[in-house]
Amino acid sequence: MCKGGGANLRSLFHATMLKTKLAALLLFCSFVCGAVASDETVTRQKLVQAILSSGDEQQKLLSELADDNSKIVHDTLLSWTRDEIYLCETANGGAKIPVLLEEQQDAEGKARAIRIDDGKYLADEKGAELHFDSSDLNTLDTDMRLRSAVQQTLDLLALADPNRDARRDVVQKLGKSQKKQYLPVLQARLGKETDAGVKKAIFVAVATINLGDADPSAKIAAINQLAKLNSIGSLDDLQRAANSQNADVAKSAEAAIKSINGYLSAVNFFGTIFRGISLGSILLVVALGLAITFGLMGIINMAHGEMIAIGAYTCYFVESVFGTGFTFRIVMPFSIGGHAPGFGATIPGLHASGWFYETYFLFAIPLSFVMAALAGLALERTVIQFLYRRPLESLLATWGVSLILQQCFRLVFGANNVQVNSPRWLLGNFTLNDVILGYNRLFVIAFAVLIVIGTWLLLTKTPLGLLIRAVMQNRNMAACMGVRTARVNMLTFAFGSGLAGLAGAFLSQIGNVGPSLGQSYIVDSFMTVVVGGVGNIVGCIYSALGIGTADQVLQQVFGSPVVGKITVLICIILFLQWKPSGLFAARSRSLEG
Amino acid sequence: MKKFIRSFSAVTLAAFTLNAAPVLHAEDTVKVGILHSLSGTMAISETSLRDILLYTFDEINKSGGVMGKKIEPVIVDGASNWPLFAEKAKQLLEEDKVACVFGCWTSVSRKSVLPVFEKDNGLLFYPVQYEGEELSKNIFYTAEAVNQQATPAVDYLLAQGKKKFYLIGTDYVYPQTTNLILFKYLQLHGVPVENIGGGLRKDDSGKVISAGKYTPFGHTDYQQIVSDIKEFAASGDACVINTINGDSNVPFFKEIAAAGLTPASCPVVSFSLAEDELRALPTKDLVGELGCWTYFMSLKSPENKSFLAKWNDWLKTENYPGVVKEKRAVDSPMVLSYDGVYLWKKAVEKAGSFDVDKVRTALESGEINFAGPGGKTTMQANHHTVKNVYIGSTLANGQFKILKTFPEVKGEPFLLKGLDEQLEKKTAAN
Repeated sequence: MCKGGGANLRSLFHATMLKTKLAALLLFCSFVCGAVASDETVTRQKLVQAILSSGDEQQKLLSELADDNSKIVHDTLLSWTRDEIYLCETANGGAKIPVLLEEQQDAEGKARAIRIDDGKYLADEKGAELHFDSSDLNTLDTDMRLRSAVQQTLDLLALADPNRDARRDVVQKLGKSQKKQYLPVLQARLGKETDAGVKKAIFVAVATINLGDADPSAKIAAINQLAKLNSIGSLDDLQRAANSQNADVAKSAEAAIKSINGYLSAVNFFGTIFRGISLGSILLVVALGLAITFGLMGIINMAHGEMIAIGAYTCYFVESVFGTGFTFRIVMPFSIGGHAPGFGATIPGLHASGWFYETYFLFAIPLSFVMAALAGLALERTVIQFLYRRPLESLLATWGVSLILQQCFRLVFGANNVQVNSPRWLLGNFTLNDVILGYNRLFVIAFAVLIVIGTWLLLTKTPLGLLIRAVMQNRNMAACMGVRTARVNMLTFAFGSGLAGLAGAFLSQIGNVGPSLGQSYIVDSFMTVVVGGVGNIVGCIYSALGIGTADQVLQQVFGSPVVGKITVLICIILFLQWKPSGLFAARSRSLEG
Repeated sequence: MKKFIRSFSAVTLAAFTLNAAPVLHAEDTVKVGILHSLSGTMAISETSLRDILLYTFDEINKSGGVMGKKIEPVIVDGASNWPLFAEKAKQLLEEDKVACVFGCWTSVSRKSVLPVFEKDNGLLFYPVQYEGEELSKNIFYTAEAVNQQATPAVDYLLAQGKKKFYLIGTDYVYPQTTNLILFKYLQLHGVPVENIGGGLRKDDSGKVISAGKYTPFGHTDYQQIVSDIKEFAASGDACVINTINGDSNVPFFKEIAAAGLTPASCPVVSFSLAEDELRALPTKDLVGELGCWTYFMSLKSPENKSFLAKWNDWLKTENYPGVVKEKRAVDSPMVLSYDGVYLWKKAVEKAGSFDVDKVRTALESGEINFAGPGGKTTMQANHHTVKNVYIGSTLANGQFKILKTFPEVKGEPFLLKGLDEQLEKKTAAN
């Protein structure tokens, strides 16, 4: 930097005005850069001092660091609270050098050490970078007092964090401490804050701190403020205030609790409706395929659950390929000549990371449709086509297929459940007036809407849809008119199975992926289709949403998931006694006989 | 066809006799039973224990056996069928006349074999964390008692400044009993009843008989419960005590993540998730959540390092049918099985005999200890052990980072009665 500055100085003497200006700019830049660089060195030195010192001096250094809003301070202190700072003793002199270990590990699980004092890799005398195993290094000793001091510094730093959730958490924390010393910090932040959620949190925090005030009128003002803000998180504090000796304070606190509880029940009401719709959407996605294979075609397909599992495993497979790769090996349970025969395959992984990895799910969705549709096609050609007029035999045969498929999953993917990591854009939530709308739940609702629209378009707007409807209404007549019914059956069944595969792809994001995945959804699927009315896709939509909402509402009412579910099932039994053909009775000719 | 069947059965009979033939040199061996489910729902967990026991026997046999006798394992399959466990126990004790049995995972299987062991005066070592409130003279519990897992975890959370505790579990005896103990323990440590979430169930006299929220095995929809937790945690300083077993943990943790409950704001401490279970869970969603066991695979002690190295070598060379070789994890129940075998060995050597009564006296003396992978384990007169308890937080690779160690915690099976008395005293004092 200094050299660069020197060159610029020299050029000042021999240049035209324009050049002078340019050079001055360069000079300025290099000064700023130099200042930043030296600033960072100073910061790093401060950090090392804070780490290596002890007692009150350490506390003082830490509080000084709170003014320094740089990434390096934040990262280092965070590692400190997580016990990820290690002390390396150098061979020469034995001075202790605080280091962080790099996240990237080599094959032996060792990583390079980053020096905190200059940000470079720790090297030996010859300049070769050293690799360490975290278990061989000494962590920095931290006691409770020091930890809380580090944490406090971090909290103050976090007020300016770019992530709004982090800011909100820390604002809440400072408010809960009820320490007046934080009031100016919070007020200062309020001026700069742009996010509405964090602003509300700051108002709540300020009111909570004021609630700790000794003066009753200040207390009452804070209570009224909290009631106005509808702060659910303050209920506990208000309850304490309601037990206070001062009658006025207690009275206004009780009024505030009442008003917040009213707000809370509204939040719960909308939350329950949303959760009901999302559960209904899952039922719908799971049952829609069955509404076609069972409802329209009249096949009691017990292997429907395994079609769902195929979709889920496809999702796992795609995730593995995007990650570390996929290997399977099937070993026969007997041995010939001392070793068991077997076969297997390895598909190398793409080792994708970042946004590319996050897109794996977008590839997995169509692929799971294709895989399940192909499996359905094979099932139709090998088993079901011979059983169209024999529903009981098809029940038994497809149940057998379901057992075979489950065992295949065990052989290829193992008896244990497999890990499917959700893409980051499906995690997290969107909070609207304290009603939590999870991204994965919003996604399933949108997904269900898209699938329903797609199915409707296919059945009503395409030539294939026309043929499907014709064959399902009257197979013989359609055949007389020259429709290749066998082919239409095959395609319809494949389409229904493909829809099940889509359901599986989604289920892999919210639950388990294992060999018995399908078993846990098969009953729900049949229930939805039967309640909706066999042979009627609109009925299936109504029944899925109805069962989902009823389930969530009753869970909320009874406070127990089991009682809620039992009540739903009893209601369904009673309903079917009253209307045996479901919500919407089918009027297709194929079921008249 | 008949002819075929006859010749087939003849061949199988011959095969059985051939198999049985080398067993008959009884003088220099001692028979030891392994009683685990090798099929059925529990096989996923229990097969690991069979493997580690086989390894331990090999290790002991290589270094000279027990009092000069080689251990000869008799493996029976409980098949996740509780009455069958009792039958198999009877077979081990009465027909095979084993010196000692290592086995059982679920509490119900242990309860099912208990009368058999008491009647035939057998010896059982039980290795899996359990709810306590039981003490049989024929069972030695190397398992974590509630005060070696649940209460240390609560102590840790209280020290972290947590003030509200939400209890959730699967609906069966272990979570119910543990949560009831914790409900009393928390009150004793100054947590008011309204700060213990999940709901209470009382009997007619108003006595609390169940605390916390329960879901059945295999439950998948946790939306409502998690929104309840979110509301409970809104006022800060809250945490969740999770005794959900098996599969249901996946939808539970996915929902926790989606609701924005982070380990920083509201940590979840789980008592049924060890390294072996984490292999089947999306660990990225669990990073930072807590666990509490008396052994973690990530322990840095030299005993643990050499144990893991030898176990991995054994896996490479062992050809016992059904032993999975890839991606194996070691967790607390496995290590407690391993410790159990060594405790038994040392007790036999102290007693100078395989006789059950003499071995029991030796074990009860309080002098039998073993420096295992998880630290020193000492058997006490109350059939439970003294050992270190560790709190760990989950890492993305399915391992735990150890946050705190409680050294030499004494196992104590009967907590409910003592807690009731202490609570009464406390309310009387107020």
